[in-house]
Amino acid sequence: MQLILWFCLGILFTLMVQGFAYLSLKVTLKWWVWGASFIAAVTILFGLAWASASFEEGVAQSGALALIFFCGSGVLLLIWLWRVFVKPQLNTD
Amino acid sequence: MNNEHEEISLEELENPNRRNFIKRTAIGGGAALAVGFGAYGAGKASVEGRVDENWPILADDFKPMDQKNTIWSYALSPHLMMKYPERNEQFGRLHKDNPKYNFQVQVTTFESKGWDNNKPGFTQLDNALQHASWLPPYMPELRVGAAGQPQTQFFSWDQSGVEKEQYQFTSKKQASDAIRSAARLFGAVRCGIAKHDSRWDYHPIFDSGITGEVMGAMSSMPKPDLSQPGAIEGFHSQLKVMMPQMVQQMGVESKDLTWEDDFPFKPKSVIVMAVPMDYDNMATAPSKCSTATVGDGYTKMATLASSIAKFIQGLGYQAVASGNDLGNSVAYGIAAGLGEGGRNNQLLVPGYGPRVRLCKVYTDFDFVEHDQPHNWGITDFCKSCKKCGEACPSDAIDMSDDTHFYFEGEHKDEPGYAWSNHQGVKKFHTDAKKCFDYWLESDTDCAACAAACTFNEPDFWHHWFIMAINPISPRFLHAAMAELHPAFGYGSTNNPEKVKKFWKTGEGMRVNMQNKSVFGSSNIT
Repeated sequence: MQLILWFCLGILFTLMVQGFAYLSLKVTLKWWVWGASFIAAVTILFGLAWASASFEEGVAQSGALALIFFCGSGVLLLIWLWRVFVKPQLNTD
Repeated sequence: MNNEHEEISLEELENPNRRNFIKRTAIGGGAALAVGFGAYGAGKASVEGRVDENWPILADDFKPMDQKNTIWSYALSPHLMMKYPERNEQFGRLHKDNPKYNFQVQVTTFESKGWDNNKPGFTQLDNALQHASWLPPYMPELRVGAAGQPQTQFFSWDQSGVEKEQYQFTSKKQASDAIRSAARLFGAVRCGIAKHDSRWDYHPIFDSGITGEVMGAMSSMPKPDLSQPGAIEGFHSQLKVMMPQMVQQMGVESKDLTWEDDFPFKPKSVIVMAVPMDYDNMATAPSKCSTATVGDGYTKMATLASSIAKFIQGLGYQAVASGNDLGNSVAYGIAAGLGEGGRNNQLLVPGYGPRVRLCKVYTDFDFVEHDQPHNWGITDFCKSCKKCGEACPSDAIDMSDDTHFYFEGEHKDEPGYAWSNHQGVKKFHTDAKKCFDYWLESDTDCAACAAACTFNEPDFWHHWFIMAINPISPRFLHAAMAELHPAFGYGSTNNPEKVKKFWKTGEGMRVNMQNKSVFGSSNIT
């Protein structure tokens, strides 16, 4: 089952890279914003992988906390970066 | 139409946005993958461990342990009871508020106190599993072997099966790989080959004279209903008088055995193997339910070690299988590079923690690649994490902040109190007597320290990730990780929910899509 998890994560990772590549054509961001965005996205993937493994091993508490802390913090960071740095540029376009 | 289509395709190919998109995807993805592969390589190297040239650190007065001084030998032997009555008296006076307390008579009623269907983990269901886990026809033999008695049926010294012709391996690596392959086939999850080191052997080896037959006879003595109040105490008082007479009648004689005069050959290598215990079953500790994976471990130790000894003999070399007898399995496990010594005095193996049982094979075959002690930062982690000690129901675990050479627990100043500890090794020192007493009292093998250990994890990637970053983590992070372990739902003890969970682990076993096994989880990595 873990192999299916890694396959799914591979697809998500590919989509993430393509999303960043597409965004790079649309907006111009400072290097640290790109870095923070990448960290946020990887944190979300990390949380998904952790949570999936935890649910699979039957420790739901660990899975829930992974979704809250890892995925949650990644999503919050991504939303903040989007609102502050990305969205204004898209609106001006 | 065709020309128009070709023109569009050409235009699309020349579209700078599309080309940039593909270029950036390739560069970004490639860079991310390179970082990912680098991190994977670093993590893999980390879980391989670093060679530890500093192990062991010994005091000047260190000497190999006399097997008579282990709690197992003492508790098993009526002769030692008669020779050292003060050991029973001292422990009884200091811990049981009963100077007449006696380990030996307790052993005869161990795991025979029945069940309580209102207590999760102690029901008839759990009791039946507990007793089924020790290979039933050989249970007394396995029990005696588990207590360190040498020359039992599975851990025999007999060398009559050694082939006259010796198989010649082309290289040391080929020989080591062959031994490890055989060990894996017969059920080992770890196998290391240490050089024989007499510091970790028992000197002398103690033969209590108790055989499987004697143990069986003592265990099958007619007992009163032990679940009734006061019945056990009455039976024990009766046994205390009867035991010396019984020993005399059955001709039980104890003796010391030496490596030079009694052991069949001079060992050169010790093959150390770990068999796994089930994660979900261990999680029910301390209970009769969790005792099942311990018994099952002893059964597997016996079949694995005896099979490997037979394999080595078939190659034309001398070999003796060993469980808890002959020498210190934890020390040999460290020497063979399988893990590090933990706060609970058990071998902590990366990926399993203490959730393994160890067995070994002594052999005169030395054309092998010998393993070396390795370091994963495990003992360092134990210095910050005290979860095993907090879970211990008998306060037997050393709660010191650092490793040390001598027993420093309760009653350390009482003369001769620390007789069951191997003094002079820089490690944590548990109180084995308190620990074993709780086993007798609870009618289980306890294992709370193993279940609570932060390194006791199922076989999933995120636990390996934590293992990989452990050596480079600062100490304050170790403390945080130790706290997060229970917060994330791992390592609880005395938890009825875990008993319920265990009894559902058989669900879906017809297809078993997760390949559930004794790993307690999927073993596809």
